[in-house]
Order: sequence, then C-alpha cells, then structure tokens
Amino acid sequence: MLWVDKYRPRTLDKIIAHEDIAQNLKKLVSEQDCPHLLFYGPTGSGKKTLIMALLKQMFGPGVEKVKLENKTWKVDAGTRTIELELTMLSSTHHVEMNPSDAGFQDRYIVQEIIKEMARNRPIDTKGKKGFKVLVLNEVDKLSREAQHSLRRTMEKYSASCRLILCCNSSSKVTEAVRSRCLNIRVNAPTEEQIIRVLEFIGKKENLQVPPAFAARIAAQSNRNLRRAILSFETCRVQQYPFTTNQTLPPLDWEQYVSEIASDIMKEQSPKRLFAVRGKIYELLVNCIPPEIILKKLLSELLKKLDSELKHEVCHWAAYYEHRMRLGQKAIFHIEAFVAKFMSIYKAFLIATFG
Amino acid sequence: MEMEMEMDIPAAEELEWLESNALLAEEGEEDDEYAVDQEGDTAAADYYDVESGVDEQLLLQGRSSSDDFNHQTTKKRLWSAEIDGSSIFDGGVNLVEGRGTKRIALREEDEDWLRYSPKKDTETAVSVEEIVDDPLPDVFAEDKILSRFATDIDGDCMPVTAPSGERVYAKMSTGGISGLHERSIAWKPERGLLLETISTLSEKVEQEALAKALKDSLGSTDQATSPKAHLVDEQLWVEKYAPNSFKELLSDERTNREVLLWLKQWDSSVFGSQIRATEDDVLSALRLHSSVVQHKRFVGNRSFFQENRGPLSNHNLKTPNILNGEEKNFKGTPELRSRKSMTNHPPEHKVLLLCGPPGLGKTTLAHIAAKHCGYRVVEINASDDRSASTIESKILDVIQMNSVMPDAKPKCLVIDEIDGALGEGKGAVDVILKMISAEKKSSADKENVVHEPRSGKALSKRGHKAAVLSRPVICICNDVYAPALRALRQVAKVHAFVLPTVSRVVNRLKFICLKEGFRTSTSALSALAEYTDCDIRSCLNTLQFLNKKKEALNILEIGSQVVGRKDMSRSAFDVWKEVFQKRKLKGDRKSIIDCSKHDAFDSLYSLISNRSEYELTMDGIHENFLWLSYHDPMMRKTVKCLDMLGVSDSFVQYVFRTQHMSLHAYQPPIAITMSRLIAQVEKPNIEWPRTFHRCRTLLMEKKESLRTWLSKISPLISRHLSIKSFVEDVVSPLLYILSPPTLKPVALHLLSEREKDDLCQLVDTMVSFSITYKNSKPDPLDKTPKYGATTDTLPLTLDPPVHDYVNFKDYQSEHYGLSGPMKQILVHEVDKRRILRESTGKNVNLDSESKGGNPAPANLEVASARNASSVTSYGGESKAKVSSDQRQSGTTKHPISVPDSEKSLSRGLNSKAPGHSKNSSYQSSNFFDRFRKTSSTNSKVSGELLQNAATIARDSRPLIFKYNEGFTNAVKRPVKMCDLLL
Repeated sequence: MLWVDKYRPRTLDKIIAHEDIAQNLKKLVSEQDCPHLLFYGPTGSGKKTLIMALLKQMFGPGVEKVKLENKTWKVDAGTRTIELELTMLSSTHHVEMNPSDAGFQDRYIVQEIIKEMARNRPIDTKGKKGFKVLVLNEVDKLSREAQHSLRRTMEKYSASCRLILCCNSSSKVTEAVRSRCLNIRVNAPTEEQIIRVLEFIGKKENLQVPPAFAARIAAQSNRNLRRAILSFETCRVQQYPFTTNQTLPPLDWEQYVSEIASDIMKEQSPKRLFAVRGKIYELLVNCIPPEIILKKLLSELLKKLDSELKHEVCHWAAYYEHRMRLGQKAIFHIEAFVAKFMSIYKAFLIATFG
Repeated sequence: MEMEMEMDIPAAEELEWLESNALLAEEGEEDDEYAVDQEGDTAAADYYDVESGVDEQLLLQGRSSSDDFNHQTTKKRLWSAEIDGSSIFDGGVNLVEGRGTKRIALREEDEDWLRYSPKKDTETAVSVEEIVDDPLPDVFAEDKILSRFATDIDGDCMPVTAPSGERVYAKMSTGGISGLHERSIAWKPERGLLLETISTLSEKVEQEALAKALKDSLGSTDQATSPKAHLVDEQLWVEKYAPNSFKELLSDERTNREVLLWLKQWDSSVFGSQIRATEDDVLSALRLHSSVVQHKRFVGNRSFFQENRGPLSNHNLKTPNILNGEEKNFKGTPELRSRKSMTNHPPEHKVLLLCGPPGLGKTTLAHIAAKHCGYRVVEINASDDRSASTIESKILDVIQMNSVMPDAKPKCLVIDEIDGALGEGKGAVDVILKMISAEKKSSADKENVVHEPRSGKALSKRGHKAAVLSRPVICICNDVYAPALRALRQVAKVHAFVLPTVSRVVNRLKFICLKEGFRTSTSALSALAEYTDCDIRSCLNTLQFLNKKKEALNILEIGSQVVGRKDMSRSAFDVWKEVFQKRKLKGDRKSIIDCSKHDAFDSLYSLISNRSEYELTMDGIHENFLWLSYHDPMMRKTVKCLDMLGVSDSFVQYVFRTQHMSLHAYQPPIAITMSRLIAQVEKPNIEWPRTFHRCRTLLMEKKESLRTWLSKISPLISRHLSIKSFVEDVVSPLLYILSPPTLKPVALHLLSEREKDDLCQLVDTMVSFSITYKNSKPDPLDKTPKYGATTDTLPLTLDPPVHDYVNFKDYQSEHYGLSGPMKQILVHEVDKRRILRESTGKNVNLDSESKGGNPAPANLEVASARNASSVTSYGGESKAKVSSDQRQSGTTKHPISVPDSEKSLSRGLNSKAPGHSKNSSYQSSNFFDRFRKTSSTNSKVSGELLQNAATIARDSRPLIFKYNEGFTNAVKRPVKMCDLLL
C-alpha cells in the first residue's frame, strides 16, 4: 500500500493539513445533525479524506465497511427505457457515487436513482440518526439539467437524506445548489503543512528526513498533498539515505508537455504544428484532461517567454480554454492556441531581431 | 477509294436531289428524312459490310453487265459523240441509286470502269470504245426517262448538266416507273441495276421479316420503338425508348461486355453441354467474320439508328449473324478463359455487383444481358419484401423451377437496390453470402469427384445441399461502399459503371427527340446531358416534360427548366477536394472572375450542405489542411482556420445540446471561409481523417480499462483515486515505486533486512493495487523495452498495463525496469500474498463472529492491520534468523506445508522456539501480518495486544492449507492433523 493511503488520517482528530476545518466539522456534527455540504477545492487538498473522516465521526466505524456495487438501473424516460450502469460504494449509512460517469444521461441518475435512494430511510434508525448520506463526487461535471433536478431533491428529501457534494470548482455548480449547501472550501495545503505531513510520515517510517529535502518536495508538489507524498515515497525507493539535493523524479506527462513547449519555441510553421498536434493527441489518449494540458502548456511556455508577451499569451490561453469548454473537440482549440502562440511569437521574433 | 472520287464528280446538289427523288419513287416507305441524312454517314460502312457476303450477286452482276454491253451498244450509238460527259454523269447517277439499294452493283461497275477507263475522271480524254464498253447504267434502258431533248420525255422533266457542259433532260420519276420496273423484274432479271434494286428490295423485305421473327423469338418486342406507338400512348419516354437488345445499350461498351462474359460463363453449368456444342460451332464459324464485325462495331455504338433504318439498309440482312458475331466477339479476348471455365464450373465469382450513380442503366443492362443470354429475369427490388427468409425461398425457386419445367428458360436473379435499406437489404446479402460459402464448402468436398459428368454433379449438388447458388445473381447498388455490402464486395465480381460520354447520350437523345418530333439542338441537348451528369433517365424525363408543355429546350435556362434536379451527394473526398483545390479560371477577365467566385461559393455551399456530415467534413479539413502549401509566413491563415474549426465545433456542440438543427445551415460558410484562405491550385493529397476517431476510441478503451482496474482495487484506496487524479498525479510515482532500483534479484534469504522490508512493502503495494506481472505477447507496438523484453521469450509486463499511461510517442521516460528474474520473484510473492490475504479476510470474519458481537468491520481490520504490520514486521523479522537448513527441515517436517497459526503465534510470541517459527522469512512476515491483524482488532477492545491475540487465534483455530506440488524434494511422512493443530 502506498504511503498516501497508509497514512491517510481516518478521523477528524488526526487530520494535519486542515486542522481548522476538521475541528469545525467536528463541532458541526456533534449536534447530531448536519446540513447538506459542498466541499470544493483543488485536487490533492484532502476533500475526500475530510469527507470520510467526517462520516466516520458521524456514524462510527460502520461507514468503513463498504461494498462495491456495479448496478444497472433501468430508468423509464418517457417513451423509452434507458439502461444506466453505475458503480457505487455503499455502507449501511452512506452511498458514494459518481453521477457524472453517466455522461449526458446524468440527469436520469439524479432524477431517478438519487431520488429513489433519498426516499428510502435507513432501516436501522435509532431515533436520532434518521438519515443517510449520499456522497456525490465530481458535481461540477454534472450537466446543468442534472444540477437543476438535484436542487429539488435536496429540499424535498432533506428529512431523510443528506447530500455531501464534492467538486473542484464551485463555479460550475449552480447558484441554486450552492445556496442549499454549507460550502466548505478546502484549500490546497500550504507548503508548511505539507512539510509537516512529510515529517510525520518520515517519523512513522523511521526515516531521516532532512528539512531542506522536505521543503524541496513540498515546493515541487504544486501544493498538492497527494503528489508530495507520492514523490516522497518515490525518493525513498530510489535512494534511501536522503540527501538534500536528491533528484525528484518528474511526472512523465509534465515532462512531455515541456517537450512540446520547447518544440513550439524552436520552430513556428504549419508543419511543426502538425507534429505538435500528434503529441497533444498522445496526451489526450492517455486520459490527461485537455484543460490541464492547456494550463501546463501555458505555464511551460511562459517560462521561456519574454515578459512583454506574457500578458497576451495568457489572454489567448484563457480565450481558447473558454472555447474548448463550449465545444467538444479539445484538439481543435488546443491546436488553435498553439497556432496563435506561434503566430504571436513569430511576429515578436521578427519585430525584435528583424 | 475511287468510289469517293466518283462521288465528287457530279454536281452535288443535283445528285442529291435526284437521289432523293429516285428513292422516293422506288421505295414508298422511304419518307424518313432523318434516315436519308444518316445514310450518308453510314454508306461507306455498309459498303464494306456487304462486300464480302454477296459473292453470288457479284457473279450475277458480272453476267448482267456483259448482257448490258450488248444491249447498250445499240442504244448508245445515238449519242456516242457526246457520251463522254453523260457517261460520267450516269456513273454518278448509278452511284446514287446504288447507294440507295445495293452497293455491289455499283462496285462491280466501278471495277469495270477502272479496268476500261483509268482516266475516266479526266472527262475530256475519253475514247469512244471506252464509252461503248462502258456498262451504261440502266437509266438509259428506258428511252423516255433520260434524253437529250426535253421533248422526248413525257411529263415533268428537269435538266441535268454534266461537268463537260453536256446537258440532258431527266424525267421526273413517278410511281408508275417503279411499277414498270417491278413488272420488268419478272421477265428480265438481267436487265441491269434497276432490276437489281427491286430484287434486292424484295430480298430485303424477306430478310427483315426473318430478322423480326428472330428477334421476337429472342423475346424482345419491337413495339416500343415503332414510330406509330407514340401517337397514342402516354408512356414515359424512359420506358418507351428503353433499349431492347444488347447492342442498343447506352452504357459503356466494356462494362457491357464484361457483364455478358460473366453471364456466359454460367452457360456450361446452367444450360448443359448441348448448348455449348452449338456455341462452339457458331464460334468457329463466326471467327471468320470477326474482321467484318470489327468494322461493324465502329458504327455499332449507334446501332439503334441502323436498326431503325429498316428496309433502306441491308444491315438487317445480317442481323442474326451480327448479333451472334458480336456476342462472340465480346468473348473474343478472354476466349480461352471462358472456354476453360465452360468445361468446369460456373465462374468463380457467383455474384455480380453492378454499382454506379443512378440513371446510367444498370438495371437495364442487367435485364438485357440476362435476356440476351437466354435467361428469364427474376427481379427483387426495394419494393419487395427482402427479409432473409423471403429471399432464400425466392432463390430456391429460381434454382428449382428449372427441374419442374424443363422447357422453360433458366432464371437469373437480379437484386436491385441492394444497398437500400440496411436492415432488410442485409438479409439478402446474408443469404447470398451463406449460399456462396455453402458452395465453397461443397466444392471443397467434391474436389476429387470433379470429373464426374456435369449433369450428375448438378443433381448431386442439389441433393446434398439445397442452398447452393447455381444460377447467376446480379446485384445492383448505387453506393458500392455501403456498409451492408462490405462482405458481399469481397466475394462478388464488382463492376463500377462509368459515365457514358456526353456525345453518346446526346446522340440517343437526339434520336428520341426526332422520333417524338420535339425540336432541339445538339448544343442544348449536350448542355442538358452535362447538367444532369449524363443521367439519361433524368434527361428523358425532362425532355418529355418540356415536350408536354410545348416548350423548347433552352440552353441558357436549363437550370430553371430541368425540374427534378438530382440531389447529388458526393463523397466526402469530393467535398474536401473542392475545399482544398481552387477552381482553375478559364478567362482572365475581371467580370468572369467575379462571376465565377460567386458561382464557386454557390456550388461549394450546395456541395457541402448536400453532404451534410459537417463533423466529418470538418475533421477532414482539420486533418489535411496543414499539409497544403499555402503561403503563410506569420501563421495568420492557420490561426484563422483553426479559429473557424473551433467555431464549427462549438456550433456542433450547441446544436447537439439545444437540438436547433436549423443552425446547421451556418456550417458550410465556415468551410468556405477556410477554403478561401487555404485553397491551392494544385491537387491536394487528402487522407481520410482517422486520427481523431482513433484517439477517441483509444481514449475510451484506456478509460474503460482504468475503470475496471480501479474497481478491482479495494474501495479504501480507489475511492480516493479518480481517473483524472490517477493519470495526473499517481501514475509516474507509482511506476517508480513499483520498480525500485535497489532491489536485487537474489534468493530471498540472501536479502538484507532492509531489502526484505522493501520487498515486503513493494509486494504489499502491488497487491493492494492489484497489480501483477504477467506474460505478454511480444508486441511490435510495444515501445517500452524497459518493462518487457528483458527476458528470453515472453517478457513480463505489468498486468493492468499501467506503464502505458506514460508511454508517449517520442518520449523516453526514465523509469527503471526491473530485471526478469526479479519480476518472476515478484509474481510469485504477489500470488502468495494475495491468497494469504483472502484467507485472512475469511479468518478475520470468523474471528469476529466467534467473538460474538464485536462489530469491527473487516476493512477496518485490514487497514489497521496494515498499519501495524509495517511497524511490527521489523520485530518479527529480527527474530526470524532463519537459516536455509532450518527452512528445509521445516518443509520436510510438513510436506504439505500447513502453516499453523497457533504454532507460529505461540512460538513467535512466547519465544519458545525463536528459530523455528517460519518457513521462510518472507512468509513469516505474512504470518505475522495475519497475527497482527487479528490482534490489532482486539487491541482496540482490550489494549492488551499479545495475550488477547493468542487466545483468540487459538479459539478460532484458523488453518491455511497450501499444497505446492513438486515444490519440495524432501521425504514425505504422514502426519496427523492433530499434530499440526496442537
């Protein structure tokens, strides 16, 4: 088991990175009730860990006994019957699922399945905890329709059911849903917090961690706790007695993106653009989300760019990201950004060096 | 030839006039001015045609000319002095008449002339004998017809002047003269050309009747073409003028011949050997005439004209011959092949697939060719029920009918519009494919009995398997690349129809217009043909429509006049080509350019919108446009293009979401904008856009495999791992962690403690992520020799191919690959650990149950056990100073290695036998694990770790039984179970 999972805090008390939130949550559920919750924050900040710890606080260790179900649901949608397959984790007290897996049919999941579950009270209620918890992941990927159908469900069945929503960006959750929840922003952990976590793990593993080394890992992790712990373990595997300036293994896809960036800087022509296209396809095929590619590409390009161009390039990156969200074929838009960059950069080079 | 020279001699107009009049007089039927026009075109050809076929007539002619000599000498003395000029003139007249009737006579005369007067064209130097010897035309046989003096002639006359200035008067012919001639035939057949003409005429009438009878017997009807029919009926011209015989087909000659050849290859199996024998006769007989036929076929393309000329041309004389000859000639080149196949089976392709755009005559060709080869056509088209069972029964009917009615013609199945409906058309295709495969099987079975007589074979075939294709099947489709036809394409003989040339179509149209009395011009017709892409059906429909409206075809307004413009949908390649390729402009004038730009926009717009698969169109543009060599130093055009593509993409998405399909109308202008930017004059090299779809399917596959993998991992881990976070954050470190460079592939007991610990943790990680190594096929596409290919044959690779997710093209990752032996060890250990873990899980459950009411859930236990194990395993290992000898003895002691938990527990914990507790250091940690798991559960309750654990373990008596066959070389000794269980 990886350290990430091994040393994942299981109770609110043990949480290191977001102690304040943990304490607040503890106080919240000590009243034996809780509102709907919406956790949002960047990846690797500990949302899921907080949620699980919170559930454990609410229901005790019973929530950790989960079973994995792969259920097929038949939804009657007017004239035809739609079959939906959904994976969910369920314990006696809660259900976790990822409704956006159903793609454009997520509306039916929300309308039928969630409503169905919300309607059924847990059988073994003993008076006070007469509700079950639905944990919905990636709510920001839900379609607008699905979110609209969600909000009525939230009100109607609030007696028997609490929703815990989890997403990266609250801006993609509709106002209506947000206002029905207690919003909890989970920041990316600060570097100090990351260092503290690393030290904690080091102590548990009986490792000597030079403080400067931990700081380097934290700095390189982009304030992503998961990434920090993983690269910490990688370093441990690569070379144990840590040295301060030990090389930190890079992430492969990031490496690849920076290769693309240097390709772009070297030559600006349609032919080169075609080569870049092939590489972007490679990344997309390997499940890297296009937004992340674009973002990383931008930051790689900015590193090498003259400062007077940075503003414009950022503007265009934002422009094409917006268009990408409007469309379907991410490759068109990423490529358009690359072409735009090439055009700008070439004009700049000619203007500067003649 | 000299004949042509002679034709030049008389004044052309006069001769023409004479000719027409004479013809009019002689043959009442000859009222068709069209035919007269045509005659000039075909005269020469006719001349050759007939030449070789009529030897006896030559003889006759020779005799008659000698008779003429005697007869005429008396006559000619009258004007022997000035005969030089008129003789030439008469030759001309002769020629004219001969052309109208039989050329043979003329030819004979010409030869005589040649013999006697080599300089007859130089009219001044003609000697008297020559004139006397000259076999003068029979025009002069009657005094009153031609004379030097107008007074000699009764009734109307007209002057004719010879080139020499000599003038004679010719009598205007009337019906009486022909009657006179006819009368004279009976008595004096030798009297000259006029008699000849009459005899030929009567012969012709006979021949015509014969030809007609023959034709009728072939099953074709002449009614449609008969000029009287159109006066009454309201038939569509398309049907009315549908070709009735093979020669009339308008489609490409080559295709026609190939189809016919293919049908002919069935002869042996369908008709049996008798037919073949006669065919051979005909074949050999007709090979002599092959040269004639060859000539014939120059005009054969327009043979419907000749057919129609009727009595005027003697072509019909030979119609049966020519029919046969042609068809033989079609077989000419591949004769050997067809001969060979005649002796064997039906052709290797059982099915013929005709494909081509609508209106070219595919169905017509199929019908005509089948009829021509003596089949009865059974057609199944889209209007019929085409389910598999119906088709099958129909085909069986087609096969079996022959045996019921032996005298009937065999049938030929024509399946029209086979590409039509996917669902139903597929049924037909399936049935045919099934039959073909059945055929193949049976032919494979019968490979050694091929020599048995054919009839017996056919019988046995039918006996063996009912569903075998033994009759020709012709399938017709428009789009050969229709998905339903994919399988059929491979087994069928495919013929693509090519567009007929415009001139051919126009000729036919002209003919029909003449027949219908519809006034047109050639240019208008050719414009029409071009406009409809040589779709003769739509041409005819248009013409008929206009005829009905009493309008004339107008070249300039064809666009508005053609009512049913076909909705032409071109292939996607055509669309891309149009987008990428600039039209060449014919003129340089400004106005033209403006106008053509306008046109280009319109045509491109309609082209793209007719194609209507905008996403595909855009994909194609996207894939290919970077390869165009447009001038774009600052990449502005490229940016613009990609912007447009982006707009199009958002359009698609928006329409998809809101279902406002009408917005699709704005897609073509996007493509046109791009076309304006990047279109080049040179031909683009276009490839089908595969990349995007390949990427999409690959992405789906990868996501799916990730998802299934994640569902295998225990939920404790997988709930924190979305696909996104996995590929983003986890993969690379995970791969590093899975392949530690410090691990050495040595025996386990040689590892240092820390290494053992590392190994243990690695195995633990692999198990918890349910990753293992497995043998993979050497994949040529596998670009990571690091993860495979290190060992001899089958390299071990990670089982969920996690490494694929960092395996980018042209990218060298820095991951360290484990060596093969190390992987082997890992595979082994992972398996062991997994089995252990599963059994432990059961034990723990048992434990908790036996404890009664301890609610500790399994997963929690496992989790906490893991926490504990890593800490405590050090302790366990430190105790486990196991020498290899001891291990050996351990195994000998327990040949069926039954790890005994109590034993290990009690020994390990109470330190009674510190060295003996584990079979292997590695396993020991497992036992320890398990022990810790149970104990840690209880430690929650009691806090007193060791004692409690021991008691619980003893209570539950967990037992792990693993028998490794061939694993030990030790002595086997029976042991009682109770010894093992304390």
